[in-house]
Amino acid sequence: MAAAKESTDLNANIPDYEYADVNTKAFHIGSFRNEWLKRLKPSSYSYEREDEDTFDANFAKDMGISAETMADLKSVCSVDSLRCHPEDQTPDPDVVPEDPTLKTLIQRKKKQDHKASLKLTKNRHSLYADELERLTFGREPDAVTDIIPEGEVILTINVYYPAIIDKFSYIRPHMTLLMTGSHSLAELRDAICCVSDLQVCGEFSSTPDMAPDFISKDHFKSAFFFFEGVFYNDMRFPECQDISMTTIEWAKARNFPPYSQSKMEDTRFADLTVKVGFPYLYCHQGDCEHLVIITDVRLAHKNDCLDKKLYPLLTHKHRVITKKCTVCHVFIGRWLTTNDPFAPSDPCLFCDKCFRMLHYDAEGIKLGDFLAYPYVDPGAFN
Amino acid sequence: MDESRKRVKSDCEELLSRFQTTDSVRFEVFSKIWREMKFSEIFYGTEGREKRTFSQLILDTASRFLLPPFSFQIRVGGLYLLYSLYKCQIASPPEQIRLALKDWEDIKKFEKDAVDAQHLDAVYILRQLMLQKAFHFTAMPTMLAFRKKRKMEKSPLCEEFLERASRPQELINIELLDELSNIHDLYDKLKTSVTSKSEQSSSVNLIRKDLVPQLRSSVVDFYKWQQKKCSKRADRLASIKSKAYGQAAEVCVSRVNTEILFYFHFNK
Repeated sequence: MAAAKESTDLNANIPDYEYADVNTKAFHIGSFRNEWLKRLKPSSYSYEREDEDTFDANFAKDMGISAETMADLKSVCSVDSLRCHPEDQTPDPDVVPEDPTLKTLIQRKKKQDHKASLKLTKNRHSLYADELERLTFGREPDAVTDIIPEGEVILTINVYYPAIIDKFSYIRPHMTLLMTGSHSLAELRDAICCVSDLQVCGEFSSTPDMAPDFISKDHFKSAFFFFEGVFYNDMRFPECQDISMTTIEWAKARNFPPYSQSKMEDTRFADLTVKVGFPYLYCHQGDCEHLVIITDVRLAHKNDCLDKKLYPLLTHKHRVITKKCTVCHVFIGRWLTTNDPFAPSDPCLFCDKCFRMLHYDAEGIKLGDFLAYPYVDPGAFN
Repeated sequence: MDESRKRVKSDCEELLSRFQTTDSVRFEVFSKIWREMKFSEIFYGTEGREKRTFSQLILDTASRFLLPPFSFQIRVGGLYLLYSLYKCQIASPPEQIRLALKDWEDIKKFEKDAVDAQHLDAVYILRQLMLQKAFHFTAMPTMLAFRKKRKMEKSPLCEEFLERASRPQELINIELLDELSNIHDLYDKLKTSVTSKSEQSSSVNLIRKDLVPQLRSSVVDFYKWQQKKCSKRADRLASIKSKAYGQAAEVCVSRVNTEILFYFHFNK
């Protein structure tokens, strides 16, 4: 009996599906890491690569084969044996070869031919993505102390935009962040950029310069993550409140399973017990709710960005089309006016420059009677 | 996306089924088929980010063939496929092969089988992949983003590639049967010794006398049925299969030996 229990305990941190191909059962991330490290030789997850000759010598000794057999084996298994074209030719890997037989290639050829007939320019999204990639791939830190330790876990976390637009229910726009096991949840919180943090509430037509002092992020600092029945509250600042209390008490009053609280800043990812692939919650500004999905947990690899300072590392971000100023159609709208005699519509969107030129004189005195509200475009983080 | 996954899977299956018909686990044989099919070209024509996503897609697809329930030969083919894809991809730096923690034991067992049977090329290639840091040691075989499907569409495993069940044969082997019949005899003797001859009636005859022969014959029946089913399923492949079975001694020494011994034992 005791042995059986022990073996289930041992397997508890080996992730397995709860629903096949959808999400896993809950497991402890730190223990998951230890399970891997227990099984692997340090050289397997080290960033250093073992020397080829040492490898050959060890292999020959291990399998009890002669140097001659070893040389034969190497030549049989060499990459050259996979070359599909004559040695004196180098085919262009950007072009689908003529008369392909593989199904994948037949389809790709069709697609490429079709695309060529359309004469499209490069997709904006892939341009951004390429740029992000260039910034991060295989980056090594300047200082040795900033290197991510070997055997550290890297988590891939998707943070979804709140479904405030109908379209978002279908396309699931999100940002993807890479974090390490030693990061705290508070660091994830700080890395999530959401326009609701930048909103300014109020009417500022008389004092437009004051507006930036009133952004929501500085006023309403409370937030929480919700993972596996635990609310992780942000309590770093004296103004922070435990905004999960309402929900916990509501649940208690209705005989729901009990929820508990913890502090975001004291919780590292390695301490969490979570399901991979399962939707959790991040809530801030009272009711701005984001789904959070941990899509992957794995050991760090030598090709990863190894500079600790660049984490949390943004690897994907959905770009939103921005609304431009009604006057210049160049800059992103910053002000929304109503009851405005200068505006072609009510309400009307202006960029900062056009707004000031149109509504104020050289001394900054308000001209005419109108109401002005600061506007933050959802695409402000593009 | 799903369609392209299916196409990639069917291309890989085509390659592996050609490999299967050769009855070999040699890399030479595999690379010959690879060249014939011009499989390196599968990466050609991908642009920009697609290079990376396609590498990930095809490595994810191929890594399934390295794991059970596929037969040893297909798994070796899967290993060669992964190695070749990893080396031939045009994404730079290369995409890694994802290896889930729960599958680790299977890989270790596979490596041990290959070492025991002295399949040098398979062991060499597996260790080369380790050396070259071709693996990501992950929680799960793929990234998971809670993509629930309305319609559960099961992608069928290629039946021809599957390992046949051999548990009954393994469990009920000669040693076990010997042991069983010994115990049976002992038990029988004990019973007779405690009861007088006159009393030897129904009360001591509650257990079957022919337990051991019966058990034996049902396993033999199962084995024969399994053989028959296989040959029915694919007439074309039947001959190859039986041949493969004959040659399987080279594939997995220990198991096949018990099976064959066992079969002879019963047909004595």
